[in-house]
Amino acid sequence: MTPTLLAELPTVTEICSCLTFWGLLSAVVGLWLLLPARVWFGKQLGSLFAAVAGALVAYDLPRLGNWPDQGVFWLLALITIGAAVAMIASQSPVYSAIWFALSLLGTAGLFFQSGAQFLGVATVVVYAGAIVVTFLFVIMLAQPEGHSSFDRLSWGGLPKVLAVVTAGLLLGMLTFMLGGLKKDAVKPLAADAIAASTAHLKASDGILAPKHMANLGRHLFSEQLIAVELAGTLLLVALVGAVAIAMQRRPRLERAIEEALR
Amino acid sequence: MNEVALLYNFLIVGGVLFALGLIGFIVRRNLIVMFLCAELMLQGVSISLIGWGRYHGSLGGSTDAWGGQMLVIFIITVAACEAGIAMALILMLARRIGKLDSAAWQNLREDGQPIYVDREVPEERTEDRVWPHLTPAGIQPLTDPDIIIHRPRV
Repeated sequence: MTPTLLAELPTVTEICSCLTFWGLLSAVVGLWLLLPARVWFGKQLGSLFAAVAGALVAYDLPRLGNWPDQGVFWLLALITIGAAVAMIASQSPVYSAIWFALSLLGTAGLFFQSGAQFLGVATVVVYAGAIVVTFLFVIMLAQPEGHSSFDRLSWGGLPKVLAVVTAGLLLGMLTFMLGGLKKDAVKPLAADAIAASTAHLKASDGILAPKHMANLGRHLFSEQLIAVELAGTLLLVALVGAVAIAMQRRPRLERAIEEALR
Repeated sequence: MNEVALLYNFLIVGGVLFALGLIGFIVRRNLIVMFLCAELMLQGVSISLIGWGRYHGSLGGSTDAWGGQMLVIFIITVAACEAGIAMALILMLARRIGKLDSAAWQNLREDGQPIYVDREVPEERTEDRVWPHLTPAGIQPLTDPDIIIHRPRV
């Protein structure tokens, strides 16, 4: 791991030979073209740039070691990130919500791949089943005509550029900070190290153990018991708050007039 | 599987999702889409937490391994609360002014800030006006032409 940020400042040649840098640059241009407020041939060119960016970054990522896992990961990551890009780029909020649901399905697949089965199912049920349906419901209630003029534009040109560049810089910082981890990750591992980590994961208290749900429940209701109670209370408070906000009351003056007339 | 490489990949995917949510939150103006982007950022964080949990599990620490999944459970709980309250708020705001534009609430801005006015609104193209179609199913219902003309029940 890198000790500090400034300990290994990269030179210009190192930056220029890094594929992730060019991928992020291409992603910045592609997202700028894709976002609302129409640019000439924005959708086609933006998709092209975004695809190039995805290919460059994916090529620069360390390999997982065996090809079935790698293929499943690439497919799920493609679904997740592609649907997220389409979500922030689509001009109709209905399509945004549907792309978000697809992105959630990809996320749930990633959870399944890393062995978090309960969370994968919970994501599909809670997010895609409940939250996205609530979103669609509110869109239908509040904006039944679907398209609107403010979905076709943003806050002008400058905030769009600044947002895209900010996100690119954030990702650049993150990938730079992870450089030490990557040096560990690209090293080919010995077979006994892989076997040891698999044995740890499949131990009786591990994530990949057959009694996954039993382990998860035991940890949830022993170490995190107070947090579970707090989360329940939070849900109750949120329920009461949502009802209180959404309840339609008549204005006080109107009510006073009615009572005086009665 | 190379666990360090899996951790690295999960962290990058989570970071990309977070950055996309950030862009969408700043750029979009629809209140609901802004909220969806906030949820996307939460998803990015969840993915990185799951990755860390798996990595610690492969090192052998069981409490550290399950801690990531516990945190994601609470993230989902808080996100559900947040969605419930935010939907109620957005519905009330939309009822009051009739649209979901966040620029319609710019009277709440600070003193001395200039008002934001749209310079040009691009025309809607016909190919953007495409709606999802349901495939027709079943037989066509018989309709009485008299009812269509007179509409006695309306």
